[in-house]
Amino acid sequence: MRIAVCAPQVPFVHGGAEVMTDDLVAALRVRGHDAELVTIPFKWYPGTRVLDQAFLWRLVDLTESDGRAIDRVIATKFPAYCVRHPNKIVWVLHQFRQAYDYDRTELGQFSESPEDRATRRAVERLDATALAEARRVFATSQNVADRLRRFNGADAEVLPHPPQTLPYRTAEPEGFVLSVNRLDRAKRIDLLIEAARSEPSLRIVIAGEGPDRERLEQLAGGLDGQIEFAGRVDDDALADLYARCLAVYYAPVDEDFGMVPYEAFLSAKPVVTTIDAGGPLEVVRDRETGVVVAPEPASVAEACTYLSAHVDEAKAFGRAGQAVARRVNWDACVDALLR
Amino acid sequence: MRVAYYSPLPPSRSGVADYSTLLLPALRERVEVVVAEPGKRRPAADVSLYHVGNDPEAHGWIVDELRARPGVVVLHEYVLHHLVAGITIGRGDPRGYLDAMERELGVPGRLLGLGVLDNLLPLLWETQPERFPLSGAVLDSAHGLIVHSQFVAERARAAGYDGRLWRIPHPAWPTPAVEPPADAAGDPLIGCFGFLNMNKRVPQLLEAFASLRRSRPGARLLLAGASGERFDLDRRLERLGLGDGVERLDYLPEGRMWSLMASCDVLVNLRYPTMGETSGSVMRALSLGKALVVSDVGWFAELPDDAVLKVPVDEFEVPTLEAALVLAADRKAELGAAARAYVEREHALARVADAYVAALEVAAGGDLVDDAVLRRIAEAAVEVGHSDPVSLARAAADAGIVG
Repeated sequence: MRIAVCAPQVPFVHGGAEVMTDDLVAALRVRGHDAELVTIPFKWYPGTRVLDQAFLWRLVDLTESDGRAIDRVIATKFPAYCVRHPNKIVWVLHQFRQAYDYDRTELGQFSESPEDRATRRAVERLDATALAEARRVFATSQNVADRLRRFNGADAEVLPHPPQTLPYRTAEPEGFVLSVNRLDRAKRIDLLIEAARSEPSLRIVIAGEGPDRERLEQLAGGLDGQIEFAGRVDDDALADLYARCLAVYYAPVDEDFGMVPYEAFLSAKPVVTTIDAGGPLEVVRDRETGVVVAPEPASVAEACTYLSAHVDEAKAFGRAGQAVARRVNWDACVDALLR
Repeated sequence: MRVAYYSPLPPSRSGVADYSTLLLPALRERVEVVVAEPGKRRPAADVSLYHVGNDPEAHGWIVDELRARPGVVVLHEYVLHHLVAGITIGRGDPRGYLDAMERELGVPGRLLGLGVLDNLLPLLWETQPERFPLSGAVLDSAHGLIVHSQFVAERARAAGYDGRLWRIPHPAWPTPAVEPPADAAGDPLIGCFGFLNMNKRVPQLLEAFASLRRSRPGARLLLAGASGERFDLDRRLERLGLGDGVERLDYLPEGRMWSLMASCDVLVNLRYPTMGETSGSVMRALSLGKALVVSDVGWFAELPDDAVLKVPVDEFEVPTLEAALVLAADRKAELGAAARAYVEREHALARVADAYVAALEVAAGGDLVDDAVLRRIAEAAVEVGHSDPVSLARAAADAGIVG
């Protein structure tokens, strides 16, 4: 089958969504399909520009390529799922959240001006059109499916995807808590840094890059022995960090899905998260596969020190998580997307 | 966003006043609302919302304001002939009436209007308003249109309205805790609430009920509401021998009305011809989870089949109605549960208020957004020599990118 995987591309940014679409293309090819990633740069500001970007996707003709039919389109994110195709599958990693749950929060982008309010409504209208055209709609997590229902009245089947392919392994914990994330405000890494400030025994390694790095480094000032910014690390180094850590911290605000818990679990490590983290809560269960606490530095510190003091329990949580993560694989995903 | 809100409000006894009394608090929780008052200065706002019904006394001033500053119209009924006659002929502006007739029907309409003005024809707003709705007089000034039914939406489009249109269900009243009164009983007890006239098919209801009483002598009919001037209800009751089977009540205070409705086994709300209106009584009946019988016309026909029994208006109307009353009484629990579920699903006040806000936000800023997007599309098209940017604009509209 010839399959176009459609996803927007934010130039110079490579995160979980990009990893997922690359892996999806690879998984389709491994199973004998002729798959290709189709992207268009995405810039969602200022104001009504977000609609221009959707229009670009609308003009793309993916019915065929080089004289041969494209049998199916799998689109993963706004505005890529605005593409037209008679056999369109939408696998929603997330919508344009600025128009929905981020609206009127510090993560939103639309002001109270009539133009901004109407632009937000236009995104809603676009989603309604684009999702209604799809032959099937999947959501990467129950959290994303719930948002689709709540904001758009759309039904979606929940289909989690596997995390990136890494040489996952496990080793004896070396006592540090690992954060793996793009460094931006919504990932709430500052909560972990504040936790370290309140608990001097806590050691942290922060892997990843992003626009919030400078602020986070300032916040970590004076905690030199406790916090290490590892920056962007390659696959081997990342697998090694996962293998050696005590636990993985992952507490974004109402995350759509979150690959990091799966990566932690495949390394047999427990996850520390918060009660408002969204998607991760579907696999991180308190005292089963990790620790779930209030989004406060003291609570995060307490969770980390608990795991440090109960290493056997931490290992057991990690192993339980490993069993959960292994159930999510590309065979099941590809079967669902192509059935 | 600031909304200027034009509507009759209590003490006006219109259904639209009741509607706004219900909607306004929910709307105010979501946006800033300034209620306009007749004869006072127009409030400054991002968008104006005009509730329009057919009563010239309640809505005449609202149409005046609409014409001065176009905005979003809530069309509570499609037929506005009485309103138009009131704000033209009633104000000494017969030419305005002729213009409205001509807008709708061309020169023949103007000639008909002249016939009315010269007393050569009966007053059309009293005899056959549904044939001459005259809603174009309002639609022409609508910058956006909110309707409650597909019925009205289709007629507005057919009348040439091509602007933004939203279909927003009538909100349901929160059901008060009511005790059925001790003085209302029947086996079954059938209730008909609201203004009683030919339009509400009361003669047909009485005939069907009289026939029903022969097989179910314990049946009683509660007729609650004022009756039309030219509708001699008492004589009809006497002729059908329904003296002891029918209880007649005039205007009821809100609490007593809810309580009596709650005591009924079956509620009836018939209509023909329809003016494209919704019915507050029907909404109350559905909210109460009552078995309900309606006419199969207009908005009423769009109610779900599992929750409401619909009687076609044809030569079999009376026997069908009698059968429907029996069926509704026998299946009142099932119908009532479906009615309540439907109301909770489709007519919840919060859902309706959210839909209003969505519509008003698009009405307030949608043109700015469309202009910005279409300008950039057109510029890009022209820069690469595309000679037909209109086709691109159409593609944008098809995708929902512009409204």
